[in-house]
Amino acid sequence: MHDDPLPGHEQLYDAAPCGLLLAGADGAVLDVNSTLCGWLRCRKQELVGQARFSDLLTVGGRIFWQTHLQPLLRMQASVAEVKLELRWGEGAVLPVMVNVAERAWQGQLLLHVAVFVAEERHRYERELLLQRERAEDLAAQHARDQQALEQAQAQALDRAKFAEQLVGIVSHDIRNPLSVIQMSAALLERGVGAEQQKAAVARITRAVQRTQHLIGDLLDFTQARVGGGLGIRKQAEADLHQAVAEAVAELAVGFPGCELRHERAGSGSCSADAERIVQAVGNLVANAVNHGDRQQPITVRTEGGEGVFRICVHNAGAPIPPQVLATLFEPMVRGSAPGAAKGVGLGLYIVRAIARAHGGEVSASSSAQDGTRFRMELPCG
Amino acid sequence: MSVLQRNNVHVHGKGPPMVFVHGFGCDQNMWRLLAPHFAETHSCILLDLVGSGRSDLAAYDRARYASLQGYADDLCEVLAAVTSAPAICVGHSVSAMIGMLANLQCPDQFAAQVMVGPSPCYINDGDYVGGFTRTDIEALLQTMEANYLGWSSNMAPAIMGAPERPELAAELTNSFCRTDPEIARHFARVTFLSDHRAELPGLRAPTLVLQCSDDLIAPRAVGEYLRQHIPNCTLRGIENVGHCPHLSAPSASAAAMEQFIAGL
Repeated sequence: MHDDPLPGHEQLYDAAPCGLLLAGADGAVLDVNSTLCGWLRCRKQELVGQARFSDLLTVGGRIFWQTHLQPLLRMQASVAEVKLELRWGEGAVLPVMVNVAERAWQGQLLLHVAVFVAEERHRYERELLLQRERAEDLAAQHARDQQALEQAQAQALDRAKFAEQLVGIVSHDIRNPLSVIQMSAALLERGVGAEQQKAAVARITRAVQRTQHLIGDLLDFTQARVGGGLGIRKQAEADLHQAVAEAVAELAVGFPGCELRHERAGSGSCSADAERIVQAVGNLVANAVNHGDRQQPITVRTEGGEGVFRICVHNAGAPIPPQVLATLFEPMVRGSAPGAAKGVGLGLYIVRAIARAHGGEVSASSSAQDGTRFRMELPCG
Repeated sequence: MSVLQRNNVHVHGKGPPMVFVHGFGCDQNMWRLLAPHFAETHSCILLDLVGSGRSDLAAYDRARYASLQGYADDLCEVLAAVTSAPAICVGHSVSAMIGMLANLQCPDQFAAQVMVGPSPCYINDGDYVGGFTRTDIEALLQTMEANYLGWSSNMAPAIMGAPERPELAAELTNSFCRTDPEIARHFARVTFLSDHRAELPGLRAPTLVLQCSDDLIAPRAVGEYLRQHIPNCTLRGIENVGHCPHLSAPSASAAAMEQFIAGL
């Protein structure tokens, strides 16, 4: 017996710590070492002369082999570090790294294939993929958070601006009646005739009423905006025709020189807070007087039926521009016409808050031909 | 960017035009063993489909390329830009169908169709044998997504030395068939879920189908189906294992094509 200090090439090939396979140019297996057979749990004679290399691949791998690797082999004579999955029969799927070289041998092309098990690498890659997905999710979440933050910031800025404006307008609107009161008081102090005294007291009373009205609006506004909606006290069977008729009569006194009409149709009975409805009508009429053509009548129409009560306030005059119409019911929107700035700009906002507190809505339309019409609709169950 | 840059168009040779359109998984390098056969008699137009090879990846619009029609539109645009004469279109695999759709779209720009390993539908459907079940294709797409394309940003299998083929050393090694994984994934989906059987009878141009003897992607039954459904169709078998006879059996492929072209 000859004692060779090293194993022969045959043994080296067969027991190499990687899978080795030799195939023809068509992929037919010509030889395979024991290592690969062991991994695939098959016998050498099942593969040699019986199978093609692509038969060892999963369906996805086969298509990849035909569409990518075979053409590459023809073009560049080798592919290396290709990740594939091997499977023989019903055995387990084995993730592997594969190098393939196309070599000429005695006038024919042979494929030399070396296979390395890549379970660990496979797990590592899956982990990488998973982490990448997680990172992408986090990045998306971050972008969403960032956007929400920017929105919140913009809202906070809006609120701060709004509060500043409100303080400005309110200060201005309270200063006017206060100066009326101050001047009238000074007049009374000087001691004037009975007629003048009476007129001064009337001015003071009106100024106080205006201020109270303003403060009332502010409280309503705060309640509607911050307090989760305007509070209303519904009466089961309020007669809204009657309530509005009385309000229109009172308003007519308050706006001498304007013609106010009231039309009614259908039933006036509705479950509603009549005082709030009267307040809304007052705001709508004041708005019509301030912004409409005073030479022409203002019509308040109330109409009940089919579970809905409608209040329309119509005035003639220059139409409201569309861009103003869009934001009419937002707080502190004032008409742009000269001298139009009366009140704090909360009137229409409060009208809407009253309508919504009743489960209704308010809308406005305006054109040169038809004038301006506000429509309030309340459900009357 | 012009359509010529967008599709990385190269023209070689002189004569009536012949356009070569590569299939899924590679680029115009696929034609390196076949196109030179024809460059003496034809002007050979080579292109990369948008999203493949050295095409303009920025032009890859998932909506435009959500069906093969987007590629067919590109092919009409390229031909209009390069030649006024009708071209012989040589399309491999999925591009055989792209060529057919382009032919239906702009028939004046085509003289004939050569389909290399074509399949109008990869999925079995009733009596139709496409070679794959829907489950197979879903598994393929999953395998591609999970294994080959998901984690490397620019996938192209590495190259080893090839002592017997020194000419390769001069090539830009490892530059063939580079693929953006996202695009390849989408293209795979569009390709393997496509079904253009309904359009086959409308193809009027003379058509040659090169059918490999052993092709997993386009089995023989598919070639037979095409012969039966394309009105003016010649079916030629090529002794070849695999899906790329233009690379592994270029001489036989060229001979069959030359015979077909001579008969036009």
